[in-house]
Amino acid sequence: MLELDFTIRTVALGAVLLGITSGVLGSFAVLRQQSLLGETLSHAALPGICLGFLLAGGRQLGPLLLGALLSGALAALLVLLFIRRSRLKTDAALGIVLSVFFAVGIVLLTYIANQDHAGQAGLDAFLFGQAAAMLPSDVALMAWITILALALVLVFWKEFKAVSFDPGYSVSLGLPVLALEVLMTLMVALAIVIGLQLVGVVLMAAMLIAPAAAARQWTKGLGSMVALAALFGAVSGLAGALVSASARGLATGPLIVIAASLLVAASLLLAPERGLLPAAWRAYRARRKLPQQRVLIDLYRLAVAHQDPGYPIEQGMLASLYGFDPGAVLAQLRRQGWIRPLSHEPTEQAHWALTEAGYRQAAELWGR
Amino acid sequence: MLHEPDLALHIEDLTVSYHSKPVLWDIDLNVPPGVLAAIVGPNGAGKTTLIKSVLGLVKPAAGHITLFGRSYREQRRLVGYVPQRASVDWDFPTTVLDVVMMGLYGQLGWLRRPGRRQREQALVALAQVGMEHYAGRQISQLSGGQQQRVFLARALVQDAALYLMDEPLAGVDATTEQAIITLLKTLRSQGKTVIVVHHDLQTVASYFDFLVLLNVRLIAQGPMSEVYTGDNLRRAYGGQIALLREAEHARA
Repeated sequence: MLELDFTIRTVALGAVLLGITSGVLGSFAVLRQQSLLGETLSHAALPGICLGFLLAGGRQLGPLLLGALLSGALAALLVLLFIRRSRLKTDAALGIVLSVFFAVGIVLLTYIANQDHAGQAGLDAFLFGQAAAMLPSDVALMAWITILALALVLVFWKEFKAVSFDPGYSVSLGLPVLALEVLMTLMVALAIVIGLQLVGVVLMAAMLIAPAAAARQWTKGLGSMVALAALFGAVSGLAGALVSASARGLATGPLIVIAASLLVAASLLLAPERGLLPAAWRAYRARRKLPQQRVLIDLYRLAVAHQDPGYPIEQGMLASLYGFDPGAVLAQLRRQGWIRPLSHEPTEQAHWALTEAGYRQAAELWGR
Repeated sequence: MLHEPDLALHIEDLTVSYHSKPVLWDIDLNVPPGVLAAIVGPNGAGKTTLIKSVLGLVKPAAGHITLFGRSYREQRRLVGYVPQRASVDWDFPTTVLDVVMMGLYGQLGWLRRPGRRQREQALVALAQVGMEHYAGRQISQLSGGQQQRVFLARALVQDAALYLMDEPLAGVDATTEQAIITLLKTLRSQGKTVIVVHHDLQTVASYFDFLVLLNVRLIAQGPMSEVYTGDNLRRAYGGQIALLREAEHARA
């Protein structure tokens, strides 16, 4: 049994809460094809953090996170404005806003580093996260935001679903689509804010995208996808926190992201219907079956032509049809119980006839 | 106050522009109730924009629109919309029945989840388009024609008086096309008004009884027999001779 000290428990709990929130909200972002919005919002939080630091005159979490939320919201607004009022496409608008805000953030960060502020060293921890700095009060804040996010998703479930699937049609139903979209974006911004301390602005977007992308591979419904994304997020958070606690000098945030990415890789490879390996296996099976099906169908057509389901067909005749002796394929068909060997006077050569099951199987294949 | 209450759709002086270039210019359009109307015109004629303006999805630069005498905002419940099939991501994780039930979300109101009654309504609508056996199917596994019929069922479940459909026959096979046309004619026989963006000049005269010819401006409108003339088509399509020759052939 792992002996968990107080700091590790705090970090692990925070990481699990972050994983749940970002998994749930990230699912909607990914389905709305707005994965990059999270990337932009998290990078855009940096100037807000720095301004919060300068205005508050120190590293107090409240002002820092408020600054992050405000500059993230401003960035989201700018993106929306660019898309509506200019000819920029969404990706270009996101890219421009991301880089400008991040550049301003880095400028402010270096400016602060050259001032003689107390505790300035802690600020660049927001770039990649600094889990060890987490306090129980921070975890309590994360818990409240997680509860708020889950409650909003439950309350507006069918509206969020409709808007994510078909916003234009949702407008025609009378749903306040713009307000719902703003609410979803705001919730993503909130999730980012609570993730900043743990994962940092650079990697936070991965927490929104990775659990949702992994969950999509395994599920068929929105409900199961959101639930599984929350679980994947929580597992990644827990794994990252525990692994980083197992040795000195392992950063928690990046480890959480690596854990989530491993889940994505495993899901892309292994998921039963959408995974690459199962698909390759199905293709391999189909390729192997093709000659069998071909021979079965030819036997069936010969049987039909002779108006006798059990008509014996000489192996040599098939060999001349294909240009090689199909003995191996015939053996496979025999093992499956679809054909049986029989002797046919006066020739000595091997003969084959369809069994009843083989006749039915061939008829079905031929009819397709 | 009622304005032109005897018309299913009344559009006056409608102008819509994208980036200060007009896509619809000074449209006056009157569609009487109970017709099966086609909106026809070349690519870029503004057909989709016209439908989206009626639904308030694009903001007009000028003009007004009424449905059965009142603004769309007041008449929303009377309108069923079938968007272009390609306008959504069909890989969304949901089932056929779920998509059809979305047609009832507006009537359900906040906080209420669709229940047994809504399921039954959705199943009835699916049966109308011949898709009742696909209720539990993932939408990602549907063919193009099946996707189109799911969108139709989603609008049918709204039990609207006026249906606006954007290219419901685009990319569907001949059997599905016939099934959809039969359905549209059934709707008309129930007294509903159906307005359809259509792209095939060869079939338009046999499928529809009311024609709107559009090319940024309104070229002609009225009963099919009066409006479907070579002269009108030439004015709508300009130099696209090949298309016109096909249409002439179809008319002969």
